[in-house]
Amino acid sequence: MADKRCSGKFPFCWCENENRVWFFQYAACNYPTAELFTVIVLFRQIQQEIPLEIFLGEYLPIAVFFAIAIGLSAAFVLSAFVLGNQRPDDEKMAAYECGFDAFDDSRRQFDVRFYLVAILFIIFDLEVAFLFPWAVTLGGIGLFGFWSMMLFLAVLTVGFIYEWKKGALEWE
Amino acid sequence: MAFELADILPALPEIILSAVALVLVLVAAYGGDGAANARRVAHLTLAGIVLAAIALLSMTSAQSTAFGGMFRADAFADYMKLLVLMGSFAAVFMSVTPLERDDINKPEFSLLVILALVGMMLMISANDLMSLYMAVELQSLPLYVVAAMRTNSLRSSEAGLKYFLLGALSSGMLLYGASLVYGFAGTTSFAGIAAAVSETDLPAGFIIGMVFMITGIAFKVSAAPFHMWTPDVYEGSPSPVTALFAIAPKVAAIALMLRLTYGAFGSIALEWSQVIMALSVASIVVGALGAIMQKDIKRMMAYSSIAHMGYALAGLAAGTHEGAFGVMIYMTSYVFMGAGTFAIILLMRRDGQSATRIADLRGLSKTQPLFALGLMVMMFSMAGIPPLAGFFGKWYVFLAAVNAGLVPLAVIGVVMSVVGAFYYLRIIKIMYFEDSEAPLDQDVPLANKLVLGVSMAVILLFFAGLNSIMDAANTATMALMAPF
Amino acid sequence: MYALIVFLPLVGSILAGLLSLNNQDRPAELVTVTGLLLSLLLSVIAFAEVAIGGTPVTVDIGRWIVSGDFAAQWALRFDTMTAVMLIVVTGVSSMVHIYSVGYMSHDNARARFMSYLSLFTFAMLMLVTADNLVQLFFGWEGVGVASYLLIGFWYKKESAHTAAMKAFVVNRVGDFGFALGILAVYVLFDSVQFDVIFAQSSLIATTNIEFLGQSLPALEVAGILLFIGAMGKSAQLGLHTWLPDAMEGPTPVSALIHAATMVTAGVFMVCRLSPMLEYAPFALDVITIVGAMTAIFAATVGLTQFDIKRVIAYSTCSQLGYMFFAAGVSAYPAAMFHLTTHAFFKALLFLGAGSVIHALSDEQDLRNMGGIWRKIPVTYAMMWIGSLALAGFPFFAGYYSKDMILEAAYAAHSGVGNFAFVMGCLAAFLTAFYSWRLLILAFHGKPRASADVMAHVHESPLVMTFPLLVLAIGAIFSGWLGYELFVGHHWQQFWGDSIFILPTNAALENAHHVPTWVKLLPIGLAASGVAIAVLCYAVFTGLSAKIAALFWPIHLFFFNKWYFDELYDAIFVKPAVRLGHFFWLRGDRDTIDGFGPDGVSALVYRISGACSRIQTGFVFHYAFAMLIGVVVLVSWYVLRFKG
Repeated sequence: MADKRCSGKFPFCWCENENRVWFFQYAACNYPTAELFTVIVLFRQIQQEIPLEIFLGEYLPIAVFFAIAIGLSAAFVLSAFVLGNQRPDDEKMAAYECGFDAFDDSRRQFDVRFYLVAILFIIFDLEVAFLFPWAVTLGGIGLFGFWSMMLFLAVLTVGFIYEWKKGALEWE
Repeated sequence: MAFELADILPALPEIILSAVALVLVLVAAYGGDGAANARRVAHLTLAGIVLAAIALLSMTSAQSTAFGGMFRADAFADYMKLLVLMGSFAAVFMSVTPLERDDINKPEFSLLVILALVGMMLMISANDLMSLYMAVELQSLPLYVVAAMRTNSLRSSEAGLKYFLLGALSSGMLLYGASLVYGFAGTTSFAGIAAAVSETDLPAGFIIGMVFMITGIAFKVSAAPFHMWTPDVYEGSPSPVTALFAIAPKVAAIALMLRLTYGAFGSIALEWSQVIMALSVASIVVGALGAIMQKDIKRMMAYSSIAHMGYALAGLAAGTHEGAFGVMIYMTSYVFMGAGTFAIILLMRRDGQSATRIADLRGLSKTQPLFALGLMVMMFSMAGIPPLAGFFGKWYVFLAAVNAGLVPLAVIGVVMSVVGAFYYLRIIKIMYFEDSEAPLDQDVPLANKLVLGVSMAVILLFFAGLNSIMDAANTATMALMAPF
Repeated sequence: MYALIVFLPLVGSILAGLLSLNNQDRPAELVTVTGLLLSLLLSVIAFAEVAIGGTPVTVDIGRWIVSGDFAAQWALRFDTMTAVMLIVVTGVSSMVHIYSVGYMSHDNARARFMSYLSLFTFAMLMLVTADNLVQLFFGWEGVGVASYLLIGFWYKKESAHTAAMKAFVVNRVGDFGFALGILAVYVLFDSVQFDVIFAQSSLIATTNIEFLGQSLPALEVAGILLFIGAMGKSAQLGLHTWLPDAMEGPTPVSALIHAATMVTAGVFMVCRLSPMLEYAPFALDVITIVGAMTAIFAATVGLTQFDIKRVIAYSTCSQLGYMFFAAGVSAYPAAMFHLTTHAFFKALLFLGAGSVIHALSDEQDLRNMGGIWRKIPVTYAMMWIGSLALAGFPFFAGYYSKDMILEAAYAAHSGVGNFAFVMGCLAAFLTAFYSWRLLILAFHGKPRASADVMAHVHESPLVMTFPLLVLAIGAIFSGWLGYELFVGHHWQQFWGDSIFILPTNAALENAHHVPTWVKLLPIGLAASGVAIAVLCYAVFTGLSAKIAALFWPIHLFFFNKWYFDELYDAIFVKPAVRLGHFFWLRGDRDTIDGFGPDGVSALVYRISGACSRIQTGFVFHYAFAMLIGVVVLVSWYVLRFKG
C-alpha cells in the first residue's frame, strides 16, 4: 500500500513536505563506508610494524569468516526449500501490518516514516557499537575515558530530546 | 591516558560554537516553531559567532595542535577562520528578516548554519585525513538541508537534492582518494604524508589518490568541471541560503585546499599544481562565459563565484609563498564582495515576493540610489577595477602566477576577466540607464544596510588598509608553509 | 608686473567662465573688462620701458618640457616687437571687450562670450611674448582654439559651426607645416630657443637637409615650412578660405581676431624670425610672391561681395598680403608698422560695420541697406575715417604704412619686388574702390531695407561708440606718430635686436630715396578708385550692373572667389569624405569591428550559449561531467608516468 502523498517523480520516495528524509538516508548510506574506513585505518595503525605480506596474512581469518557465512546462509536457504512443508495460500501473499505487499518491486515508494524509524535506529545502534569497546577498556582509559563517553552520550541525548520534542518518534 | 587541557584548548572557538549549537538544539526543541523562536535562535547564533571570534582573536596565533595532532591552529587558521566567521555572521544577520518575509524562518536554519560553521572551521584546521573528512561532512550535511529549506518550493527541494547527490559523489571521491593516499603513505597525518613522499620517490597510486582528493574538494570549491551543481543550487535555494553558500563555505574549502596542497602534498607541488591549473582555467572560462546568458542574478552570481574560485586557484597553482598569499588577499576581497552583493540581492523584492531577475534591477538608481551605488561598487570590484578590493585580489594572484612561470594561465585569466567585466557592467547599465515601471520594494531591513555599508567601506578603503591586510596575510602564509 | 599683462586676461577668462555657469553676465563683463584695461595700462608702461627706454627683458616662469636634450621653458620675452604687439593686442582687445558689452547685450550667454574673448587675449599674449618656438606654438594653437570657439559661438546655427570647423581644419594644414618647421629648426639648431636660433643662423645658412628625398638648403626648407604655418593663420592665398566664412562669428570677434590680432600672428612670426629668414633668400621670395598674390586676389574678390563683413574680411586678407610682401623684401619694420596701423583702422571698420548691422536689426547684406547716414551719424563718420585710413589718404594711418610698403617693394630692385609693387599698386586702387562702394551702398541712396527695419534704425549706445572713437583716434594718428619710430632712418634704435636685416637687403633704407612718382602713385590710384566708385554707385547707379554684365565671366570669377572653395571641395574635401566613408564602413565597421569587438563578442555569446546548454539540469549529466573530469585528470597523470 503506497503512500498517496508521494509524487512519482523520483526513483525513490519523494514527499514534498518531508524532505528531511534524504538527509537521513544519506547518513545511512555513508556511515558504513566511513566506519569501514575507520576500522581499516585503526587496524593498520596497530599493525604498523608488520611487513605487508604478513599484514595481508592477517586478513585470512576474515576470508575464512566470509566463506563460512556464505556457506551457512546458502545452506539455510536451500534446506528451507528441501525440507520445508510447502503449503501455498493467498493469505500468505497479503500485506503485513506495516502495509507492504509481501512480494513486490523493492524500489517502489513507501511511507517516509519507515526511513525515519530506520535512521533513528541506526544512530542509537552506532552508539551501542561505541559503548562495547568503551566498556571493555574502561579500566585502562580511566576517568578521562569515562567522562569522554558521558559527553558523547550527553550530545546524543540532546539530539534525542530534540527528535522526541519534534515528534519524530510519533507514528501519526 | 591522562587528559590535558592543552590538547583541546587550541580548538576553543570550535568548542564554543559546538556548545552554543547544543544549547540551540534545546532552544529550538522547546521554543516552538514560530518566527519568534527563530529570531531568538538567530540572535543566539550571532552571539555565539561573536563569542567564537573573540576567543579566536584572544588566543595566541602561535602554531599548536589539538586532538592528538588532528587539529592544527596557527596564524593561517586564524586568518581564514576570521573570514569565515565574518561571512557567516553577515549571512545570518542579513537573513533574519528576508526569511521571515518568506515565512520560512525556522529555528533550524540558524542551528544548521552554526553546525556547518563548526565544520568549516574544522576544515580550516584540518591536519589529518580523518579530521579532514569529518570536517567536510560536518560542513556539507547541514548545507544540504538548508538548501531545501523552502519545503513548499519544488526548485528549493530540487536544489537540495542535487546538491546532496553530487555531494555524496564527491565525498566518495574524496574518501577513495584518501584511502589511496593513506595506502601509499602509511599514515593519515598531513605531516606524515608530506614526509612519506618526494618528487623522486612517487608511486603512481599516490598521485591518483591525490587527484581524487583534490577533485573531491574542488566540488566544494565549485571549480569546473565539478561546478555543475552551483548554478542550480544558487538559483533554487532561498536567497539567504544562497548568500551563505556564496560567502563562507568557499573560503573554508579554499583554505582546506591550501592546507592539503601546501601541507600534505607540500613536497610535490610540481604534481598538484597541474591539476589546480587545469581546474583554474576551466573555472575561469566556464564562469566568465556561463554568466553572460543568465537572466537570474543569483544564477549569474553562481557563475561569477565559479570564475572567482578559478582566479583564486590560479594563485594556488603557482604553488609558491606568493601564490598562497595572493589567494588569501583574493578570498578576503571575495568575502566582502559577496556579502555586499547579497545584501542587495536579499532586498530585491517586489510586492512582498522575492524578485531576482537581473531585469528587476531596472531603474534602481532612481528609486534607491544608495543601493544602486553599493551594487555598482561591488560590481566594479568584482570586475577588478582599481582601486577597489577586487583589483588587488586579482593583481596578487596574477602576479604569483606570472612569477611562477604560468604566463598562459595569467593571460587566460586576464582575457576572461574582460569577458567577466561585461556582465558586471551590464548590471550597472541596467541599474543606471534603464527605467522600470514597477520599482522594487523600498522597505529595507537595517541589517542589510549595515552589511552593505561595512562591505562598501571595506571594498572602497581596501587600498588604505592594504598594508595591514598584507601583513596579516603574509604571517598567515608563513604559518601555512611552516614545517610541522 | 610684465607677467601680469599676460595672465590678467587668463584670470578674467577663468572667472568669467565660472560666472557663466550661473549666467552671471554683468559680473563677468566687469571682471574681464577690468582685467583687460589693467593689462592695457601695464602694456603702455611696458612699451615705454622696453621700446622707448630700450631695455628688453625676459621673465622666466618655469620649466615646461625637458626630455633628453630637448628643453622648452615657459618664459615671457619682452622686446620692442613684443611691446608693439602688446599695445596692439591689449588696445584693440580692451576696446572690443567694451564694445561687446553693448553689442552682445541681447545675447543670453554673454559671460561665456566674455570668457572666450579673454581666453583669446591670453593666448594671443602668450604668442607674442613667446621666448621659443614651442611656446609660440602653444599661443598659436591657443588662439586657434579661441577662434574656433568664437566663430562657433552661436553653435546652434548650422553655418556657424560649419565655419568654425572649416577654420579649424584649414588652420590644421598650416599648423602641420608650422610643426614640421619647428622640428626642422630643432634638427638644425638643437634648440627651439629664439636666442640660440638667431645666434647660429649665419652658421647654418649653408647646411643642407634631406627633405622629401632631396637634399635642400636647410634654412630655406625650415623657413618655407614655418611660412606655411603663417599662411594658414594669416589667411594667405591657398589657405585663406576659412577667413570669409569666419564672419559667421559675432562682429566683435571679427574685429578682434579676424582683423586686428590673430590673423596678424603670421606676420608677427615672420618678423620675429627675421634673423633666421634673412639667410633664406628663396623663402623670402616665396613670402613676397604669396603676399603680393594675396593682396591682389582678395581685393578683386572684395569688389563683388555683398555681405558687408565679407567685404571687410577680404580687405583684411588683402592687407595681410601687403604685410607679407613687405616682410618678404626684408622691410620687416614696414610690415610691423602696417600691422599696427591696420589693427586700428580695420578694427574700427569692423566695429563700425557691427554698429550698422546692429542698427539695421542684424542685416548684413549691402543690397538691403542704404539711406541711413543721417540716422547714425557717429557710425557714419567712423566708417569714413576707417575707409580713408584703409585707402591710404594722406595723413591717415594707412597712408604712412601702406606707402612705406610699396616704396620698399619698389626699392628692393628685384624681380619679385617689382612684381609685388605692381600688384600692391593695383590692389591699392581696388581697395579704394571697394571701400567707397561699401560706404555708398551702406549709407547713401534710397533705403532698401523694409520700412519696419528702417523705423528701428538708431545710433548705437555710448558703450559701443566710445571704442569706435578710441580706435578712430588710432586710425588717424597712429601712422603719423609711429612713422619716424617704426620705419624712420633710425629704425634700428627703436627695434633694437628684435629685427635683424642683412646690410645687403637694404629695401627699407632705399625706400626713403625712391623717385617722387612712386610716392605719389598710390595716392593717385586711391583717388581714382574713389572717384570711379562714386561714379558707379552714386552718380550713375545702374553703371555697375552694366559693367558686371559686360564682363560677366570675370565678374562671376571674382564673385565666386576664384572658385577656390569649389576647387578644394573637389580636390580635397570630397575625396577625403569618400575615403573616410570607406574606412568607416569597410575598414572600421566591417573589418575591425567585424573581426574585432563585434566578432569576438558574438563568438563569446555563442560559446556562452553553448555553456548554458551544457547545464541541462539533469543530475546524472552533472555527475557524468564530474566523472569525466576525474578520468581526464587521472589519465593525464597515468600517461605522464608511463611516458
